[in-house]
Amino acid sequence: MSELDEFKATYFDECSELLNELEEQFTAIEEGDRNADRLNAVFRAIHSVKGGAGAFGFSGLVGFAHEFETLLDFVRTGKIEMTDEVVTLCIRSNDIVADFVGAARAGEELPSDHGAEEKARFVTLCKGTKGDDELDEDGEPMEEFDIEFTPVMVNLEPVNDSGKEGWLVEFTPHRDLYARANDPLLLLRELAELGDVDVKVILKTIPTLADFEPFGVYCGWEILVPGDDVTEQSVRDVFEFVDGDCDIKITRQTIAEPRDDADAMAFDLDDDMPSFADLANEITPEVKKPVPVAAPVQSDPNGTEEGKNAAPVGVQSIRVDLDKVDRVVNMVGELVITQSMLTQQMDDNLKVHYQELVRGLEVLAQTTRGLQDSVMAIRAQPVKSVFSRMPRLVRELAGKTNKKIRLEMVGENTEIDKTVIEQLSDPLTHMIRNSADHGIEIPEKRTAGRKPETGVIRLSAEQAGGNILIIVEDDGAGINRDRVLQIARERGVVGPEQQMSEEQIDNLIFAPGFSTADEVSDISGRGVGMDVVLSNIKKIGGSVHVRSWPGAGTRMTLRLPLTLAVLDVMLVTVGRCPYVIPLSSIVETMQCSRAEFGHMPTGGRVLQVRGEYVQVVDLATRFEMHTDVEDKHRFAVLCEAEGSVKIALIVDDIIGQQQVVIKSLEENFERIDGIAGGTILGDGNVALIVDVQGLRSATTHRNAA
Amino acid sequence: MRVLTVDDSRTIQAMLHHTLSGAGFEVLQAEDGQKGLEVLNTETVDIVITDINMPVMDGIEFIKNVRASGQHQSLPILILTTETSQEKRDLGREAGGTGWIVKPFDPEKLISVIRRVVH
Repeated sequence: MSELDEFKATYFDECSELLNELEEQFTAIEEGDRNADRLNAVFRAIHSVKGGAGAFGFSGLVGFAHEFETLLDFVRTGKIEMTDEVVTLCIRSNDIVADFVGAARAGEELPSDHGAEEKARFVTLCKGTKGDDELDEDGEPMEEFDIEFTPVMVNLEPVNDSGKEGWLVEFTPHRDLYARANDPLLLLRELAELGDVDVKVILKTIPTLADFEPFGVYCGWEILVPGDDVTEQSVRDVFEFVDGDCDIKITRQTIAEPRDDADAMAFDLDDDMPSFADLANEITPEVKKPVPVAAPVQSDPNGTEEGKNAAPVGVQSIRVDLDKVDRVVNMVGELVITQSMLTQQMDDNLKVHYQELVRGLEVLAQTTRGLQDSVMAIRAQPVKSVFSRMPRLVRELAGKTNKKIRLEMVGENTEIDKTVIEQLSDPLTHMIRNSADHGIEIPEKRTAGRKPETGVIRLSAEQAGGNILIIVEDDGAGINRDRVLQIARERGVVGPEQQMSEEQIDNLIFAPGFSTADEVSDISGRGVGMDVVLSNIKKIGGSVHVRSWPGAGTRMTLRLPLTLAVLDVMLVTVGRCPYVIPLSSIVETMQCSRAEFGHMPTGGRVLQVRGEYVQVVDLATRFEMHTDVEDKHRFAVLCEAEGSVKIALIVDDIIGQQQVVIKSLEENFERIDGIAGGTILGDGNVALIVDVQGLRSATTHRNAA
Repeated sequence: MRVLTVDDSRTIQAMLHHTLSGAGFEVLQAEDGQKGLEVLNTETVDIVITDINMPVMDGIEFIKNVRASGQHQSLPILILTTETSQEKRDLGREAGGTGWIVKPFDPEKLISVIRRVVH
């Protein structure tokens, strides 16, 4: 990666962050928060986007951001009022900035009129204010932002002084020049770069000793810069920074030759003064080569040399490449396995004879667990980063559908693994679209149904055990079950005679290729249905469940693992093979001899738990394993699948709890129904992870069929 | 030579760092004026390059504070800015800025300007 590419990568990273921040800020502003800090923050963010864009020559982006920034500057300084119209314009402009950034990142060009309408609006708005003189007449970006770097102003070529013309510079510094840390010697040195200058100090302005002020500034200089080809501008450029802090007069002079001419005498130095030309020659070599690296000798007041090269004081965070964190996460995962393997190897004999070793292993187990939590915390991020994109989505949807919708968000600070968060955006967007498009009714209909005119979509996140629950709830019409069932039958998703519970019908919306919208709308109907949500969520080890109340609303629950890397499981055996069941789904375990089983009329077995009948799945039968363990010695593992529906899994034996690192079966082998993945145990054996949700759905369909 | 760069943009910081360290300078960084002051409290630098628009403490305030501290009267401070208006430049000058560079900066020019103002 070239340096420029690296800078660009940094820039685009930064842009993503800035755009996210802008999104949040504008959302708050739209909700009526016109806090000065907020307005300053949006101004700064756009300013930063522009600054970087200028460096890479993204002229379209610079041009647009510049006008946008001007508007924001006027807003923050109160020259323009932040009316609703301006807010809307800003939000739209933010999108356009994002378009430009996206195009720049992809190396594409946007049409030249992209954002032209908004740009014109900025100009109109800004023109109407008292500060309109700051804006270019035609609204074009200022010259400085054009693609090329500004040319080097200082001419470093030695100048042939054979010319007869030159510049006479009369230079008298003011006190302010010194106050701003400028130094006349440096200016003279720089002038010497233009040619063999003659410098004469003006001493007549120096007062008598009695009138001398310690900090007074009394000296001035007359400098003759020879050379036909030295422009006045190049001389003026030397004094660029001190303009206003000194008296400066530059006039064209003819330098008569030979030098003993009366005119030229004026620029000769007094005999007892060293010639500045000599002085300049001494300095020149240093000026022309790269500045020496040697740092000035400094005494450190604290006497500590460490920290001299240290990062700036007060830095509270560092930026780390995600790959590096992932590597640590994986290694910690393997460490967890090794640790649990060691623990398993401890037999009673060892435990008696090597107590120190046992204690050491206990500490190791604790430390490993702590290490794992800490590492996962590094990669954890608040769901806010995804949630923050939703308000504007809802706003847009409300606009397009002519509905009134309010979005409520709860638990934005709940943290989930970054890898999970990245996969969350699409499904969540789709669920919200679905709620806004199909759930919330139009205002008239809501009023007729004695509901408030404004519909509410509630987005919440919470941690529940080893899972994160993300719930999208609306107070809309609920799922139209008759319609859903009708379509499901038409499309063959459900058999003509198949009876389904209300809940099963609700969950049909996740069936592949399903869409209940009579006409494909611009919003939800983008060629994908809710089945995409389900498959996306399944990919990250989560599940989706929907519940609906006709006329009162719909609730969709996403259950996501805290992390994708490590899973707490219960190790069981079925037909002498190890299987693991995610601990998060286990409610309780019991010996079969103590459990009460019953039989359904259809032939299926059920388990009676506290007055509730629970479906039973014998894993030996399900996975076609041969077991020689008697029924009464086997165990029932009561698991809770999505939507609080329970299922009892019958296993041969329960070994214990442990943590495993999940390995994808699909990536390494192929997908198997009822199995969510694989893992390698401490003793090197492969154990399969039981897919509780999958088993439950499968049995439901089988029973129903 | 040690340079303190004060800028909230990581992009600009990265480019400054590249240019300056490439010229053999040692670079210290601060993300806003407040952090910049903290650095100056404990570190000695030969020149400061600061942005204007920054959160917490902007460049103008930063320069005023540096000059007001009494210890850094002769520390050259260059303002790195996209502002081209004379008005904004004057603000920086009044605060005590030594000179300015307009973003986007040309690396060669930056180095030559630094040499123009460092004692």
